[in-house]
Amino acid sequence: MWWQWPHWLPLAVLVPLGGGVVTPAVARGSARRAWGWAAGVSAATVAVSLALVIRVARGGPFSYAFGGWQPPYGIEFRFDEVSAFAFVVAFLGALAIVFSRQYAPHALAEPRVPYYYTLLLLDIAGLIGFSVTGDLFNMYVFMEIVSLTGYALVAISGERIAEMAAFKYLVLGAVSSLLALFGIGMLYGVTGTLNIADAASRLGAAASTMPVIVAVALLVLGFMVKAALFPLHVWLPDAHAIAPSPVSAVLSGLVVKLGLVGMLRLYGVVYASRAVDLSSLNWLLTWLGAVSIVMGAFFAIFQDDIKMMLAYSTISNIGYIVMGFGLASQYALVGAAVHIFNHALIKSALFLAAGAIIYQTGYRRLSDLRGVGRGMPLTAAALSVGAVSIVGIPPTAGFLCKWYIALGAFEAKRAAFGFALVFGALFIFVYYIRMVNAFYFQEPVHADVTHVGDPPLSMLVPVWILAALCLIMGLAGKVPLTFVAPAVSRLLGPLGG
Amino acid sequence: MGAGAEVLWMVPAAVFAPLAGGVAAAFSGSWPEARRRALLAVVSVVTLVLAGSVLARVTAGDDMSVRLVKMTPQVWIHLRVDALGALYGAAAAGLWLLALVYSFGYMADEHRLSRYYAFFMLSLAWTVGVAYSGNLLTFLVFYELFSILTYPLVVHEETPEALAAGTKYIVYILIGGSLVLLAIVYTYFLAGGQDIGAPLFDASVPRSQLLVVFWCFLAGFGVKAALVPLHGWVPDAHPAAPAPFSAVLSGMMVATGTFGIMRVVFNVFGVRLLAELGVMRVVAGLAAFTVVFAAVLAMHQDDIKRRLAYSTISQMGYVTLGIALLDPLAATGAIVHVANHAFMKGALFFCAGLIIKRMGVRSVSELAGAAKRMPVTAAAFALTSLAMIGTPPLAGFVSKWYLGLGILESGQVAYIAVLIGGALLAGVYLLPIVYRMYFREPAPIAAGSPLAESGSSEAPATMLMPLAAAVLLTVALGLCTTPSWSPLQIAKAAAEGFFR
Repeated sequence: MWWQWPHWLPLAVLVPLGGGVVTPAVARGSARRAWGWAAGVSAATVAVSLALVIRVARGGPFSYAFGGWQPPYGIEFRFDEVSAFAFVVAFLGALAIVFSRQYAPHALAEPRVPYYYTLLLLDIAGLIGFSVTGDLFNMYVFMEIVSLTGYALVAISGERIAEMAAFKYLVLGAVSSLLALFGIGMLYGVTGTLNIADAASRLGAAASTMPVIVAVALLVLGFMVKAALFPLHVWLPDAHAIAPSPVSAVLSGLVVKLGLVGMLRLYGVVYASRAVDLSSLNWLLTWLGAVSIVMGAFFAIFQDDIKMMLAYSTISNIGYIVMGFGLASQYALVGAAVHIFNHALIKSALFLAAGAIIYQTGYRRLSDLRGVGRGMPLTAAALSVGAVSIVGIPPTAGFLCKWYIALGAFEAKRAAFGFALVFGALFIFVYYIRMVNAFYFQEPVHADVTHVGDPPLSMLVPVWILAALCLIMGLAGKVPLTFVAPAVSRLLGPLGG
Repeated sequence: MGAGAEVLWMVPAAVFAPLAGGVAAAFSGSWPEARRRALLAVVSVVTLVLAGSVLARVTAGDDMSVRLVKMTPQVWIHLRVDALGALYGAAAAGLWLLALVYSFGYMADEHRLSRYYAFFMLSLAWTVGVAYSGNLLTFLVFYELFSILTYPLVVHEETPEALAAGTKYIVYILIGGSLVLLAIVYTYFLAGGQDIGAPLFDASVPRSQLLVVFWCFLAGFGVKAALVPLHGWVPDAHPAAPAPFSAVLSGMMVATGTFGIMRVVFNVFGVRLLAELGVMRVVAGLAAFTVVFAAVLAMHQDDIKRRLAYSTISQMGYVTLGIALLDPLAATGAIVHVANHAFMKGALFFCAGLIIKRMGVRSVSELAGAAKRMPVTAAAFALTSLAMIGTPPLAGFVSKWYLGLGILESGQVAYIAVLIGGALLAGVYLLPIVYRMYFREPAPIAAGSPLAESGSSEAPATMLMPLAAAVLLTVALGLCTTPSWSPLQIAKAAAEGFFR
């Protein structure tokens, strides 16, 4: 079958990488040509990563050895169920690029637009590479590609406040990358290999556990800064709120997940080797996850800027996932892994819808946006669907994670965290109720808001594809849940659970 | 006996028909009013016919079970109708139809009608879904949709008071919903499966965990069922909402909480296990307190809709009391009181809406002489008040008779005082309204108002028709209690099933 061709795996990274690099040359200064090329490249990436997902669903994980040099000596790409994140990246990246058709020329200076698409495609390439690599050092390389393009994308509008946000993001991002690099270096020192599978088998034979503990601590710290877990979140709200909306969708939906996918890889190595006992780390992560849920929601309540609110909401949702990691039971990890995918869908729907509203009205504060439900009925409805989903109202996509992580908390005999999770979600609802009230039920402040009309189709279609997926992925929750279950079983298997 | 595929489609159809109607209504903004009304009326009648046929099938002994979609690898979205659910669904479809027809007249000059009708029809879909849920996850899905997506109806007026009431509503309901979610997750963890039918728990589960699950369920559903002290949202939400929605809010939505409690008591724990746990005495005490406390508060309300809202809290206390006695006769009374109360309270709110709309007054003290201006409305109010108090042979009497029998049979005789006291208090808070309407002289009419010319402010026939239908139903529900299709007999059969 077509999806069995082995070279799809490197192509999933090389297509957006190569396509991104040549975008300015193809565009020759025209924003329209740049968009056409970027959309084509991202569509091809979606097709390639779909082939990979089909292959892993049919036959389980598989590897690709570059140049025929077998691992652990050659460079290895390895595609397992967690790597299916690559497909979500490609899909959401494509929608963000489609959305940018009218948005980018509006938000950026015209000559910058081709470079904007270059950065977006490189970001996608880096994220896909990070999820499929089987090599510790390449993880760092792809992480840096993602981070560097991320800084540039936040700053690209050229406004002073954007440069400040990008700088804050850059400083913390660089520190976290460095921590992760030290961690990888120490693991290399202990095991003498950079291949992830090889490291997992050798780590158990380490002469001393202290360096391993330090390496794990450094990596976890690095990844958690990337994931913006409270209290390491300080860089996130400004960067995500100030970036152009399609970029916000990519940053909030996908880029923060890099730290979480990295955590899953790290867990894979450490659990399999049983080199160190992670229960105290997991205890800490569970607590930080719970605190993150509540604090993210708490800060969001005080925001008037709609994108700032969504940015803080990301911190809450990262809290869910990290809490799931920390509970370390089958249900909780399945819920956390599925929420990595689902949150990406939901948050992209929210950011893109918010972007469309900002594009049409020119306002971004809730107090200015009163009555926009009348002016932009379809967009506001999509945003409401996203809001209902992220709060976790059944039967939407966000509900699955609550159901599974709460079950996981009972399974791990830590029922109190189930309560924390469910009641944390209530805080989240408070600010979405404010948003819904402003959109639909409060007296408009600006008369023009109530008759601006819905945005062009290039924005409305991606927004509604995502909003529909928020519903469908909840009702068809069986599909992602069964898909990731084998990966979680493999991960927890060595623990004898 | 399993039902053939040729009738099973009725079960999902009863949920999806109003759902489709609601979606159509959302896009009906530019339609002529007549077309929208015709469509919604047809959808609503179809729903009632479907719910009625399902009820007939279920009482004939058919097993109506349909699996829709597999939401997680273990659990389906699954509809399965038993006698309790079928009765509840049919009562909901009936009340919604009346309230819809009433809306045609009442809402005619209101704003944003497409939104109103869309969420109104959707709320019927969720209610029928709750009634027909075949397992706890499905129940949760419909219950939450129903709780959240009625928010636009509560705040429909968009006044600051309505928004404040809406915030209160959503906070109470979400906290309750979260407790229900936790309880259902815990139940799933402890007992798995979760198909509604035979009790899920047995005595092998540790007592402490059973108690946690039980109180989570009870607190969660107690918010919806307006069990004191969790009732705070009810008196604010009712006056803020439009009258036809107040009618279904009071008639069916608050009752959904008691429906949830019935599911927990009869299908999750089972009466035997609960009798062993000994928690139901506490619940009965709470319910009795609710009956009296809310009735006393109702006496002091001047806003007529607020008074009726407190009356709902009090009446739902009766239902919870009937469940908590763990006696088949009391349970019969509780189940049938849900159906009876739906139409009685519906009729009362229809009257309140007419008075507010036509006379422009909301407070009881301004109602003097209303019977002269609105004779039909006043007569309907008087008759329904008597039914609510429990005067034979009207609907309220039937349910209270069975509650009384249940109290005596279960030996907790002290609750007879609550039963009778509650009925007396209902007289104290309802009959003064009737007295004022009939036996006080009306205030002089301001010259130049439309009233001055005709002397009457009686509502048009479109709004009186659903009111008359609701009143006739309260009479009929009191008179027809012996045929096998009467709510009382169905409730009896359902209750016997739970105590077998």
